[in-house]
Amino acid sequence: MEAIEVTDLRKSYGDTLAVDGVTFTVRAGETFGIIGHNGAGKTTTVECLIGLRRADAGSVRVLGEDPARRRRALAHRLGVQLQDSSLPERIKVAEALRMFGAFYSDAADWRRVMERWGLRPLARKAFGDLSGGQKQRLMLALALVGDPEVVVLDELTTGLDPIARRETWRLIGDLKAAGTTVVLVSHYFDEIEALCDRVAVLARGRVVATGTAGELVARTGTASLEEAYLALEGADR
Amino acid sequence: MRAFTALAAAELRLLARDPASLFFMVAFPLMLLVLKRGDSGAVPGYLAMIAAIGGMGALPGLLASYRERKVLKRLATTPISPVLLLGAQLVAQIAAGLAGSVLLVVVTITVFGAEPPGNVVLLAAAFLLCSVMVCALGFVIAAVVRNTRGASLIGMLVMFPMIFLSGAAVPRKALPGSLRQIGDVLPLTPAVEALGNAWSGTAAVFPLLILAGIIVAATAAGAALFRWE
Repeated sequence: MEAIEVTDLRKSYGDTLAVDGVTFTVRAGETFGIIGHNGAGKTTTVECLIGLRRADAGSVRVLGEDPARRRRALAHRLGVQLQDSSLPERIKVAEALRMFGAFYSDAADWRRVMERWGLRPLARKAFGDLSGGQKQRLMLALALVGDPEVVVLDELTTGLDPIARRETWRLIGDLKAAGTTVVLVSHYFDEIEALCDRVAVLARGRVVATGTAGELVARTGTASLEEAYLALEGADR
Repeated sequence: MRAFTALAAAELRLLARDPASLFFMVAFPLMLLVLKRGDSGAVPGYLAMIAAIGGMGALPGLLASYRERKVLKRLATTPISPVLLLGAQLVAQIAAGLAGSVLLVVVTITVFGAEPPGNVVLLAAAFLLCSVMVCALGFVIAAVVRNTRGASLIGMLVMFPMIFLSGAAVPRKALPGSLRQIGDVLPLTPAVEALGNAWSGTAAVFPLLILAGIIVAATAAGAALFRWE
């Protein structure tokens, strides 16, 4: 079964064409990577997936629903971590988790999510007093507190130190083991290689290749995903 | 409902943690009352001032910062509707203003031995309309001014002259004629009148109707102009 189907998605802002015919599918339970240069259309694609933006043309289906029309119903089944979003400075970690938990009809126990993500020692700390890595970890935990079927993570480990990154990878692995569908937007090749079953390469608003990391490497005759990416991106230019 | 309660409770907690809000909505009116030697005639105006400080002094900057720091955007990805967030802000502002107001009224009566308000129900209704009205104006400011610093500044620039010219901070009869005329057209003036009437026990419907009209107009303007990002 397909958890996400994006067909010929197009979106422009004024004269700027952000997404120019993006097509891909994500199977239920799959961890799917989206990789691409800055301005390739990754964030716009993600925002159309979660219903924050309405596509100009093409179709988007998440769990069989159109996110632009059924945003609120779909939001109960969706967990989202956005690039550089934040919380009120004075809200405490435990309060944020409890509040977000109250938004969802079928939420996970927020205390367990807090425990799981190692946030318990920070429970009474204000968001504004957290380090960059701690904020990131909280935003990730908030993406999961609704016990989602599909999780969309934009720039998952940006700002995390190497230990926190590995720890985050392990937790994403747990999600995968639990059958959650994960869409991971990243420009870290090691992360995509370690976590994703398949990856879509975006360049200038279009998908230039989709496949497993191994397939992309084999198709381009290169030695690593990073080199494969550079070859694909260059060939499209 | 559970989502809304959680959101409103969180916003109220955040307000209570903000030293500026706490000072201006609770301590400052009490200080003024002491300076006035507990003159209960000034109290209805102070109630309007408390509401105005929250709705126009604090709310625009708060909403603009939520927008600028993508708090609104993050909330828009959850099942709550963004309108619910504005509702929660409104409830939190009213609750904080009410706390400051009740304390002020209780001190006026118990410490300074003033007569209790003539019509408590009407006073509560006037305070509620006044609070919603100033929040609606704060919402318009946050809709028109896009960045955080600009929105707080404009909020202050609108709020301060208004509390002095509308009779909230000082009685209007103490003002020179030309300034009094400006006060005639300010939206906070009917709020001070409505609160004053209720305090003295006279039921006058007209100021309440004007407040309701301003609420409808400002909410419509705010809703048309407000941008989530």
